[in-house]
Amino acid sequence: MEKQAVIQQKRKGFHFRLQVEERSDEPPKWLSPLLTVLALVVAFAIAGILIALVGGDPIYTYSRMWKAAFGTWFAFSDSLTKAIPLIFCGVACSLAFHMKIWNIGAEGQFFLGAFGASLVVLAPIVPKGSSSWVYIPTMMLSGMIFGALWGFIPGYLKAKLGVNEIISTLMLNYVAVAWNNFFLFGKWSYQGFQMSEKFPKEALLLRLSDIAKKYNIKALQGMALHLGIIFALVTAIIMYFVIYKSKWGYEIKLTGDNPNAAKYAGINIMRNTILVMALSGAIAGLAGASEISGVVKRFQGSISPGYGYTGVIIAWLSKLNPLMTIPVSIFFGGLIIAGREIQPSGIPKMIQGIILVCLISFDFFLHYRIRISRISAFAEE
Amino acid sequence: MSRKVSILFVLTALLLAVVPVLAQDFQIPEIVEGKWNVAFVLIGPINDGGWSQAHYDGAKYVSDNVDNVNVVYVENIPEGTESEQVFRSLAAKGFNVIFGTSFGFMDPMEAVAEDFPDTYFIHISGYKTNNTNFGNLMGAMEHMKFLAGYLSGQRCKMDGEDTVGYMYTFPIPEELRLGNAFMMGVKKTCPECKMIVTPINSWHDPVVEQEAAKALFDAGAYIVFTGADTPAPAIVAESYKEGKGKWGIPYDWKGSCTSKRCLTLPYWNWGPVYASIVEGLRDGTYTPGRHYFDGDEKGLGLYGFMEGEELTEGLKDMPEEVLTFVRDYIADIEAGKWTRFDLFSGPIIDNQGNVVVPEGEKMEDADLDTFDCSTTGCKYGMHYWNEGIIAELP
Amino acid sequence: MSDDSPFVVEMKKITKKFPGLTANDNVDFHLRKGEIHALLGENGAGKSTLMNILAGLYEPNSGEIYVKGQQVRFRSPRDAIKAGIGMIHQHFMLVPTQTVTENILLGLDEPKFIMNLSKYDEIIRQLGIENNLIVDPTAYIWQLSVGEQQRVEILKMLYRGCDILIMDEPTAVLAPQEIDVLFNTLRSMTEKGKSIIFISHKLNEILEIADRVTVLRRGKVTAADMPIEGVTKEELASLMVGREVIFNIDKSACHAGEPVLIVENVYAENDKGLPALKGVSLQVCAGEIVGIAGVAGNGQRELAEVIAGLRKIQSGSIRSKDLDLTKVPIKKAIEEGIAYIPEDRHHVGTAPNLSVVDNLIMKNYDQCPISKGIGMDEGAARAYAESLKDEYDIIVPSIDTPVRLLSGGNLQRVILARELSNMKSLLIAVQPTRGLDVGAIEGIQRMLLKQRESGGGVLLISEELEELVSLSDRIYVMYEGQIMGEVHDGDIRKIGLMMTGTRLEDIPEEKTEVTEGEKA
Repeated sequence: MEKQAVIQQKRKGFHFRLQVEERSDEPPKWLSPLLTVLALVVAFAIAGILIALVGGDPIYTYSRMWKAAFGTWFAFSDSLTKAIPLIFCGVACSLAFHMKIWNIGAEGQFFLGAFGASLVVLAPIVPKGSSSWVYIPTMMLSGMIFGALWGFIPGYLKAKLGVNEIISTLMLNYVAVAWNNFFLFGKWSYQGFQMSEKFPKEALLLRLSDIAKKYNIKALQGMALHLGIIFALVTAIIMYFVIYKSKWGYEIKLTGDNPNAAKYAGINIMRNTILVMALSGAIAGLAGASEISGVVKRFQGSISPGYGYTGVIIAWLSKLNPLMTIPVSIFFGGLIIAGREIQPSGIPKMIQGIILVCLISFDFFLHYRIRISRISAFAEE
Repeated sequence: MSRKVSILFVLTALLLAVVPVLAQDFQIPEIVEGKWNVAFVLIGPINDGGWSQAHYDGAKYVSDNVDNVNVVYVENIPEGTESEQVFRSLAAKGFNVIFGTSFGFMDPMEAVAEDFPDTYFIHISGYKTNNTNFGNLMGAMEHMKFLAGYLSGQRCKMDGEDTVGYMYTFPIPEELRLGNAFMMGVKKTCPECKMIVTPINSWHDPVVEQEAAKALFDAGAYIVFTGADTPAPAIVAESYKEGKGKWGIPYDWKGSCTSKRCLTLPYWNWGPVYASIVEGLRDGTYTPGRHYFDGDEKGLGLYGFMEGEELTEGLKDMPEEVLTFVRDYIADIEAGKWTRFDLFSGPIIDNQGNVVVPEGEKMEDADLDTFDCSTTGCKYGMHYWNEGIIAELP
Repeated sequence: MSDDSPFVVEMKKITKKFPGLTANDNVDFHLRKGEIHALLGENGAGKSTLMNILAGLYEPNSGEIYVKGQQVRFRSPRDAIKAGIGMIHQHFMLVPTQTVTENILLGLDEPKFIMNLSKYDEIIRQLGIENNLIVDPTAYIWQLSVGEQQRVEILKMLYRGCDILIMDEPTAVLAPQEIDVLFNTLRSMTEKGKSIIFISHKLNEILEIADRVTVLRRGKVTAADMPIEGVTKEELASLMVGREVIFNIDKSACHAGEPVLIVENVYAENDKGLPALKGVSLQVCAGEIVGIAGVAGNGQRELAEVIAGLRKIQSGSIRSKDLDLTKVPIKKAIEEGIAYIPEDRHHVGTAPNLSVVDNLIMKNYDQCPISKGIGMDEGAARAYAESLKDEYDIIVPSIDTPVRLLSGGNLQRVILARELSNMKSLLIAVQPTRGLDVGAIEGIQRMLLKQRESGGGVLLISEELEELVSLSDRIYVMYEGQIMGEVHDGDIRKIGLMMTGTRLEDIPEEKTEVTEGEKA
């Protein structure tokens, strides 16, 4: 008896109870952007504390980061350049994720896309000395074809044999790197170094700095932003229409939401699985092709710091909307660029991690709500 | 209860993860008006115990020894695409001179140098230059590798062993050159000794490096030296306790010869070289170009023989004439009496028995860094393994 | 088993309500020590709810439970197990990659941390021998047959000290020989003083194994604690399906026209690869509703799926007019106007996260006017959805609402709206009114009749006998994948017998004693 009394006493001070429950209605439209903003605020607050802990000034650090990422046109050009492969990979993943095909292989498809583009120059498929009008379209196309092939393989395996695409795409990423290395170390090695010779000017995507030189525009001098940004934006817009406005997009969404219903509506799931994986691979391949031709300028190793994997995160944060991948990728591009501002290099990585965790965990409130209820002393048994 | 314990675990783990970060100094690379601004772009972390740490020490040396400079560093920058943006951004910020310390930074630096003619770019370990604001810097480490080989041969001879092992990073001229120099040293003290090699395809990968070192030891190597960053050979050597044990020779950073089984250590001493370049650029007396320093710029070191260093356990019992040879050699290169071309002078015979450089002839600059002479017009090239090396050409 | 054995379980006036339905209405249930007590009833009669209450999964709204004379209140299955009551579910809860012993020990406090498995292997082997439940304790679950897995489930409960076992349709998953083995085991366990509740709707089995039977219909007891001796199958059937007067729906006379569906001698397998349809033949003509009656799991679902093209057949033929439905792609059948209301609204009928619009256009998104080249005319789709929403009284805040937020009735209306508006010749409707409230049921029944009047053929598969009888012009009865016979007059007695496995031609003419023989 006495023991119970103590418990009652203890409970007296605690009049409220937090309860988490699933939302039974649709979350209001303003909730999602509000949560994103809140998540960012919380993330920057936590990261600020950590920066202060290691002896930095959070406000100054953030202002530097902002300046480095978006503060000047020059910085903005860098952030946009970084966003190009992210947009491509984000769109590629979004497409597959709409059908609930977990393509983790954008990284490998990116590498194969880079390989495909390089093949055009180094094999060579296009005769040396061709014009840009021949080189660039062939390179992009070849990149897409090789990326598509790298998507087709797991797509086909999934559709026909039921092979789990997470495993197969992930494994193929390693194969892709090894595939590229084979050519790097062997066939296309330049003077014994693990890189090919530099591509001819005609095989490179136009950069702002090229325009600056040609027309002597001081303002654009040294800017690395290349034509790939146009390709990326166009791809994102086209894929938006494909996913949200086309019949095929409807089939994909339906299959993703409920494959049984899709089958029941007469949709060919097998064919769509293969098609989606191939197209997703083609887009990721285009990322590789545009990167190799716009930034790297030759075939070499270490061309991606994990664009393909970041694409998964970007797709997720964009809520699988190709148009949303554009701002999200620019934000991420800026974050990566801004990260360079801070040394040692562990800190920016940590800030990025904190932001990600906050963004993803705040999604929880889209589907759940927290109810605070008063409890009377007697209601509890 | 168990839940609280697990939360405690997570928090502790988080703290442990943050501690190493806390231990480093926090910095935002930014120019300081009125000072001469110098930036170092490093491929690895500043505490990698190898290549990058050696450069970081060099950067600190510049900061401490050159007046009125502001020195910053940017670590962990991957080669290629990633790095170009870093160079661009540093140049745009207004740094006066930017050092890039990895081979893969070469093209990005060249491209950025074109866009920023008012900034100096010094690239370490490559072969390109525009002779105005983009220069190239490297040193004749082959001297120190030769001496390390010389000492290794002596060690083998004294202990009745006949095999050394070489874990090289990539099949590039530099790595063949250093391996050949080492073997030439071995031959001096142990003519019957041979060398086995294995490529590891990485400059910095602790796991792969340890595996490679172990593989070479297991294949019979008594002493293993490395072209990569970590002191893996010396550390792995410790685990061989039977008989006379094994020896390892690390590379790059002065501080990495801490293992008991570290025989010696060829290392870089970038500080004086950097300081003179920075001063020269500021005064206008230095023009970026191909800068390949020999021993005379004090940029090379061999552990146990430089100022303030003691002989390691493996060197102490060596005959005085061997140690004297090494000391004299170092004195000669520092005095400029002996150059790398003297080192690579005929007769040089490859492992197939072919004469690469005949008696009385010397290699030239172009030979030392080229595989295929048909592309650059050199005479001999560096596409051979010295006699005594059991390996096929990459 | 003698009547004076003590009660080990007494459930008194148990009432359990779910939103919109009373699953158990003042139910009494008694179990004596050492008996096998069958609990009989159709699907949805409230058997499982009652037993879930006894096993601690649900708490009743009112009523009392006594176990071995003590009043109890279970908050979780753990409490029930502590009181000695263990339930063996139809779907086994075993980890395939672990051994029998590991599965049995799973979730127990003992052994702690370090497991001396071989010691426990021996204990479990002994327990198996004592109870006639032979299974190798060191075997992995995936290596075991279904019957052996069931033995593991029983052992799990015995190991936890249960002496009252609830078995939820234990024979549903077993082959005939395995059933014999199970029955032997059950008998030997009761001899040792264990008490068993046996949930089933298979009359033959109940007559064979049970000592007593309690029958439920629509949440109420129709026969309480009745000794099995002297009871006939017919009596049980009528207790189970009821004999109430069916209220009549206004229905015009049938003007059956040309056949719109001809199924001939169809064989097909279920998801587990066992035969589900064994030579089914039937036809549906234009302007009539044809019912399929039967206890759940006798092949009705598979029948609907083979007709809709979702399941492959092994042999036989299915035709609609000139169309061979086994050959053409599903798309073609949809275009020809064959509509299908699936049994499972959530998992087959709709895409839960897509909007009402997207769910309504599922069957005609690639037809005019919604289809436009490779794109879709969003305006046309919305207009179409709006018109269906009004026509079928779908109550939603907006047509952009994801359908997962809809109530069961509205969800079903979405499906009906989609299917009926695309239907031209044939509608296959599986359980179209299940789980809906009375108003919704009536509305849906009216829609079905409307289709019939406008000359469509309807194949209605339902477990609601009253609904079938009142709507259908003819009724086929299915049992174990075969058609037992066809009735035109809605004779419930015949249907009940056929549902439990008697062929139409074997049914004796009605005897007066049986009609009067309702006891409960």
